[in-house]
Amino acid sequence: MTSKLAMDALRHTVTGIPNDRLTPARLAALAQIDEQGLPTTAHEDWKYTDIGKLVETSNQWLADDSKGSPISDDLIESITTQFDASWLVIRNGVVDTESIDNFALKQVDVKLLTDTETDPGYEAPLSDLNLALLRDGITIQINASADENRTIGMLFIDSAIDEVGVSPMRINIDLDENSSASFIEYHASTGQRSHYANSVVDIALADNACAHYVRIQNRDLLHGQTARLTATLGNASQFRHGAFDFGGRLVRNDLDIRLTGRDSSVSFCGLYLAGEQQHIDNHTRVDHLVGPATSNQEYRGILAGGARCVWNGKAVVHSGADGTDADQANHNLLLSDSAEIDAKPELEIYADDVKCSHGTTIGQLDANALFYLRTRGLDEASARQLLTRAFAQKIVAMSPIESIQETISEMVAGRVEELIARGSK
Amino acid sequence: MLEIKNLQASINGTGILCGLSLQVNAGEVHAIMGPNGSGKSTLAQVIAGNDAYEVTGGSIRFNDSDLLEQAPEERARDGIFLGFQYPVEIPGVNNAYLLKAALNARRTNEDLDEVDAFEFLKLAKEKMAMLGMDPKFLNRGVNEGFSGGEKKRNEILQMAILEPRLAVLDETDSGLDIDALRSVANGINALRHPDRAIVLVTHYQRLLDYVEPDFVHVLSGGRIVRSGDKSLALQLEEKGYDWLREAANA
Repeated sequence: MTSKLAMDALRHTVTGIPNDRLTPARLAALAQIDEQGLPTTAHEDWKYTDIGKLVETSNQWLADDSKGSPISDDLIESITTQFDASWLVIRNGVVDTESIDNFALKQVDVKLLTDTETDPGYEAPLSDLNLALLRDGITIQINASADENRTIGMLFIDSAIDEVGVSPMRINIDLDENSSASFIEYHASTGQRSHYANSVVDIALADNACAHYVRIQNRDLLHGQTARLTATLGNASQFRHGAFDFGGRLVRNDLDIRLTGRDSSVSFCGLYLAGEQQHIDNHTRVDHLVGPATSNQEYRGILAGGARCVWNGKAVVHSGADGTDADQANHNLLLSDSAEIDAKPELEIYADDVKCSHGTTIGQLDANALFYLRTRGLDEASARQLLTRAFAQKIVAMSPIESIQETISEMVAGRVEELIARGSK
Repeated sequence: MLEIKNLQASINGTGILCGLSLQVNAGEVHAIMGPNGSGKSTLAQVIAGNDAYEVTGGSIRFNDSDLLEQAPEERARDGIFLGFQYPVEIPGVNNAYLLKAALNARRTNEDLDEVDAFEFLKLAKEKMAMLGMDPKFLNRGVNEGFSGGEKKRNEILQMAILEPRLAVLDETDSGLDIDALRSVANGINALRHPDRAIVLVTHYQRLLDYVEPDFVHVLSGGRIVRSGDKSLALQLEEKGYDWLREAANA
C-alpha cells in the first residue's frame, strides 16, 4: 500500500517559494500531481518498485519544513578530487552559485535555470514533483569549439544528519551542432535521517554532437533516489552513457533516449551492486523515431544479502524507423539465496526493416572457475572476489570516459569486497 | 610423497573410485591409463580437492599430511598442481595477474619473498619461450578465447612457473597437434627432478613416447587393475583395454 502524498502541505510549500520565472511551471506541475497522483505498484512501469517510503520521507519533510543539514567542503572535495573535472555542485537541492561563478571551461555557458528562457518541461509524475519543488536548476550550453578533453562534473550532494531531507535537482544540457563534451553526474549523501533525492537531467544533442556521460550513484545505504535522464539525439549524433549504482536504500533510475535523427547512435551500459536490503531499479527506454539508427545496452548486476533489483529495458521502434539496430543485454550474478532480480526486456516494433536482439541471464559464480582459481593457490574469498570483480569489470571497461575507469574500478572492488564479506546476510 | 590407500569416491551418489591404492615417490613419473569412465579424471580432481566429489573412504597422504583435510588452495600452496583436462576460461581475470598471484601464494607458503612485477615478467617470458608461447598471452583473460592447444600450453606454463612438488596432469596431451605435444612434453621433462613427482593421466600411449614413465598403471572400474613399467603402455596400445577388463573380472 503506497502512502499518499500530503497535498495540502505540498501546496503550502510550493506556493511559499518566492515568485520567479518558474512559478507558472511549478503551479502547473502541482496541478498535474493533484490530478494524476504519484505512481503506485498498480502502474506497469512501477510494478516492482514501491515508492511509499519516498512519499513518507517527502511528507515528513513537508511537515518539518526542514532546510537540510550542513555539508562540509571537505566532504565535497573528497569526491571531486577523485576525478579530473570542473564541478558544478548542488547541495541539498540548492544550486551552489559559487560553483557556477567559478566554472571556467571555455565555450561552455553555465547559468541558473531561472536566468534563461529554457522550458524545464515535465512529462513524468516524479518529474512533476521535482519541478513543483524546484528552487532553481542549471543550464549548460556546449558550444562547438568547447574543449573536448575536459569533463564537466555535476555533484548532487545531500545531508540528512539532523533533519529529514528532500532534494529536487534539475539540469538542462544543450550540445550545439558538432560539439562534444564529457559529463560525470555524481550522487552522494550522508546522515542517519531519511532522505529522498529527485533529479531530472535533460540533454539535447544537435546534429553531429557527441556526449559521453557517466552517472555514479554512491548514496548512503539509508537514502532514496529517483533519477531521470532524458536524451534527444539529432542527426548523426552520438550518446554514450554509463551508470553505476553503489549505494541507496531505494533507488529508481529512468533513462529515456529519443533517437530523432538519422544515423544517430546511443550506447549505454550499467552496473548495480546491491546488498543488505537495497532496492535498485533501472528502467531504460529507447524510442527509435527514425532510421537508420542504432542503440545498444548492457546492464549487469551483482546482488548479495536481501537485495532486490529490477532491470527493465524497453526499445520502441516506431513506424517508419527502418534500418533500426537495437541490442540489449542484462546479466546478473546472485551471491545469496535471498537476493532477487526482476529482469524484463521489452521490444515494441512497428517498422519492417529492423534488427533487434535481447538476452538476459541470472546465475551464480561458476563453480568450475572457482575451483580452478583455488587449485592455483588463491583462497576461496579471494577467488570469489576476483571472479565477481571480473564480472563487473566488463561494464567498467565499456563505460564512456576512459580516464575515470580506474577510479570506478576501485569503487567496484571496494563494494564487491563489502558484499562478499557480508556474505548471504 | 603421495600415498593413496583404498580410496573411494563418488559424485552425485554414484561411486567412481572403488578402493584405489597408489604410492608415488619423489623423482618418479607415473602414468595412469585406462578406458573412458574408469575414474582417471576423478582421481586427479580428488587429489586437487574438488568438493564436487565426495570421498567416502580411504586416505591420501602427501608428505606426512592428511591431504583430504586440506582445502584446494592449501594443497596448491604445498606444491600440488593439477593440469586440467578442460582448463576453465575466466574472462576479465588477467592471465599474468593469476600467474603472479599463484606464484606468490606458493612462495609465501615456502617462506620465500614474493616476486615483483619485473622478476615475474622475466620468469614468465623465459618459460613461455621454452613452451613456444607468444608473450601476448600474458595479457589476455585466463584461457579466454584460447584454442584447445593454447589452453594446454597455458596449463604447462603455470606448472613451469609454480614448480610444484607433485604435478598431476589430466589428459594434457589430448587435442594437441604434434608440435604442441612436443613443447608440452619438453615442459614436463624440464620439471623432472629427484625432489619432484609427476602423475600423467592419459588415455593414449603417445605422450609416453616423449615423457618416459617409470611406472604405468591401468585403472578400470575405479581401481588399479594392473601396474608395470613402460612396456605395459605399449601392450595396451596394441591390445586395447578389453583384455585387462576381462582379466580383472575373471
